[in-house]
Order: sequence, then structure tokens, then C-alpha cells
Amino acid sequence: MAEARVAVSLLLNGRQRTFAVPPGRRLLDLLREDAGLTGTKEGCGAGECGACVVLLDGRPVTSCLVLAASADGHEVVTVEGLGDGDELHPFQEALVAHGGVQCGFCTPGLVVTGAAIVARGAGPHEHARRLAGNLCRCTGYVKVLEALATAATGKHGDGAS
Amino acid sequence: MDVPIGELLRPASVEEALALLADHPGARPLAGGTDLVVQMRDGRRQIDALVDLGALGMCGTGETDGYLEIGAATTMEAIALDPRVAAGFPALAAAAAQVGAWPIQCRATLGGNLANASPAADTAPALLVAEAELLLASAAGRRRVSIDRFFRGPGRTVLAPDELILAVRLPLPRQGDGARTIERFVKVGPRQEQVIAVVSLASRAVLGADGAIAELRLALGSVAPTPVRARHAEAALAGRRPDAAARRAAAAALQLDIAPIDDVRAPARYRRIAAAVLLDRFLREVAGG
Repeated sequence: MAEARVAVSLLLNGRQRTFAVPPGRRLLDLLREDAGLTGTKEGCGAGECGACVVLLDGRPVTSCLVLAASADGHEVVTVEGLGDGDELHPFQEALVAHGGVQCGFCTPGLVVTGAAIVARGAGPHEHARRLAGNLCRCTGYVKVLEALATAATGKHGDGAS
Repeated sequence: MDVPIGELLRPASVEEALALLADHPGARPLAGGTDLVVQMRDGRRQIDALVDLGALGMCGTGETDGYLEIGAATTMEAIALDPRVAAGFPALAAAAAQVGAWPIQCRATLGGNLANASPAADTAPALLVAEAELLLASAAGRRRVSIDRFFRGPGRTVLAPDELILAVRLPLPRQGDGARTIERFVKVGPRQEQVIAVVSLASRAVLGADGAIAELRLALGSVAPTPVRARHAEAALAGRRPDAAARRAAAAALQLDIAPIDDVRAPARYRRIAAAVLLDRFLREVAGG
């Protein structure tokens, strides 16, 4: 008997895509295995480390806890979809400038959550709280938060919410 | 790795979802998945079929006949940002903003937080303080259950296997002349953000013009098999000014309301002390404001 499959159609990094996946496939695995977008990482697999964060309808979610089928009919943006062609997202530029990357494993998730913070226009007092679900074991958070403040200021004047 | 499930059912309406749950005894509803997917992944729950509630709506807030009604699929993020919740139920707004980290809050739903029935569920003490009721539905019909009768034990509720939470209804507070209301939610854990509560406290005090406590509701999480109202502590403070003697009496009475255990997050003795400290801090704020 052929394994059951469910159809998942989503707008993925600006392109309409359709996949046929097992019913228990996680969005994380659809992205990495079916769509070949390996920027999104699996850390804890339990929604606690933030390495797998992507934007679902513009909001950051841990893709290890989202079934692929739940994304059917929705929009997903991964770290690969944040920049504009060869142009990095302003938060990515700022991470480079501030030295906010070390081993890099947490970086895609940090970039996606940070991009959502910049898009939301959240003020500096909100930055640490909203980034608290993205764990980094190398750099600590000082340079990451400096980069976020820079990116947020560039986009929103004084950075106030 | 794929989550081990045999079948994923995707109803387009509430009625269809209820019919599917009635027809598939092994099926469980899936909302945000932030608890359920972890439990399935770890093998703590074996589930044949999931009924995905994602297309059913049930989101948002509205005011009707003296209640604020919150759809069961409303996310923690939406609750934390909702001006009606912030105005009438600040403890719920604060609790929603502390459920996991932001990416969890963008998926986790109010109905899911309650149906999962963790003793540490952050929204539960806030809803106990609000004296909320839950609107439940199955293919057989609808019923309302008070939040203080909903939880049965860790992971257990009065929900039938084929029953859904549709909405949570919170009676809108009425405030008399000269009265002042202070409502808070606080929790203790090993980290500032993204913690499972070691102890949580939701509290609402209405102070009369004379500074005495006209009305008080207290509820705690992580100190008993279910989230609990602290009725002994409430009674110890009724009609009193929250002075040092009243606070001591409340701390003693509170110990009768809770039954904490030793577990991986904290010893029972720590929880008893921390619960008393959280209550004392609240009462000091009430006295000083």
C-alpha cells in the first residue's frame, strides 16, 4: 500500500509551490528535504532554541512544531527569502558589520526573528524579549542586539515603537 | 523527522470538525501544535489521526452581553496585543506575553493552552481570576463549563474525546465609584523569558475608597495538580487593609490552597515559599499604590 500523502500548496519565498508529503511531515522537513532550503536549521526540535524559525504569514514560528499541512494555503518566508537578490536584509548586513555571527548555526533563526522585529517596528526595549526564543551558544547576545538596534534604526528613524 | 501520525484530517468548518471527531474515536484536535507536536515527537502521545483546526477561524475577541469572548484559536500573540484584553484583563494579557518565546506565542492558542491542561499553563490562573467560562461543543451539542471546573489533573480536563473548546468568555469587570482595581500576573522561573512557571500567580484586587480590599481573587499555577484559586488566602484578606498582619495571615492561609510537589523544576518547599513571596509582593504593591 502506498503511504498516504497530503497536498501542501504554499507561497514559499515569493513562489507558489506544491508538495505531496506524509501527513506527519513538519514544515521544517518540507523546507529542508522537499524544497531543498537548508538555511533553516534543526536544533532542539522542540520549539525551544529558535534555529528553525521561519515567517508564517509574516509572523515568526518554530517550523519544527508546525505540520507542513498546516502551512497549506499560507505564505512562508525562510532565511533564503529575506534578502533582495544579492542584497542582504538590513539585519543581515548589520550582523556582519557588528560581528554578530560565530559558528552560524543559530544565525538563520536569529535573522528571521530579527527581521520580523524590524518589520514590526518594535522599539529597543522590546528587542531582547522578542529575541529570547533564539538561543546562541557562541557569541552571546550583545553584538546581535547591537546589530538589531542598527537595523531597526535604519528602517524606523529613532527605532521607537 | 516526520511526526508519527496515520491520518491528518482537515475540516473546513466547526461542524465538520465535530463530525470528524465523533466518527474517529482515536482522533485528536490539533491547534497551534506547540505542546501536542512535542508530545507526539517524544512518543508521550500516540495519536492515530489529527483533526487540524487551522482552517476553522475561531480567532479574535468580541464583546457581547457583558462578556469578552475570545475565540479558542486566538494566539497568545493576538491576546497580548488585544486592546480589549489589555483594558479589562491585564493579567491575561501579561500571561499570554509570557507563554514560551515570541515564535511560540505566534502559534500557541488559548484553547490549546487550556486543553493541554498543564498545571503550569500561564493563561489558566488569569482566567481563574477572571472567573471565565468555556464554551464547549461536540456533535451532540454545546455546553458551558466554568474554568474552575474544567481541569481534572495534569493533562486531564472535563473535555470529552470528541469535544472542542470553541471560545472563552470573560465577564467584563464592573467597578464601583471610588474603587481602584489592580490586576497582575507574575511567574517565577530560572530565566526571565521562555520559562515554564515554577510558580505563577494571577491576582485581582479591588480597593474601596478607604483603602481596604473590597474584592480579591487569587489563582496560582504549578503548585497543585491543576491551576487553583486561592480561596483561603482570599478569605484571610477580605475587607482588610493589606498591612503587615494581614499579609502574614494571607501567607499562612495560602499554604492551605496549594499542594506542590518536588519535580525537575523545583522542590515543593521552594514552591510554597515562592508562592507566599509572590502574594506578599502583590499585597505590598496594593498597599503602597
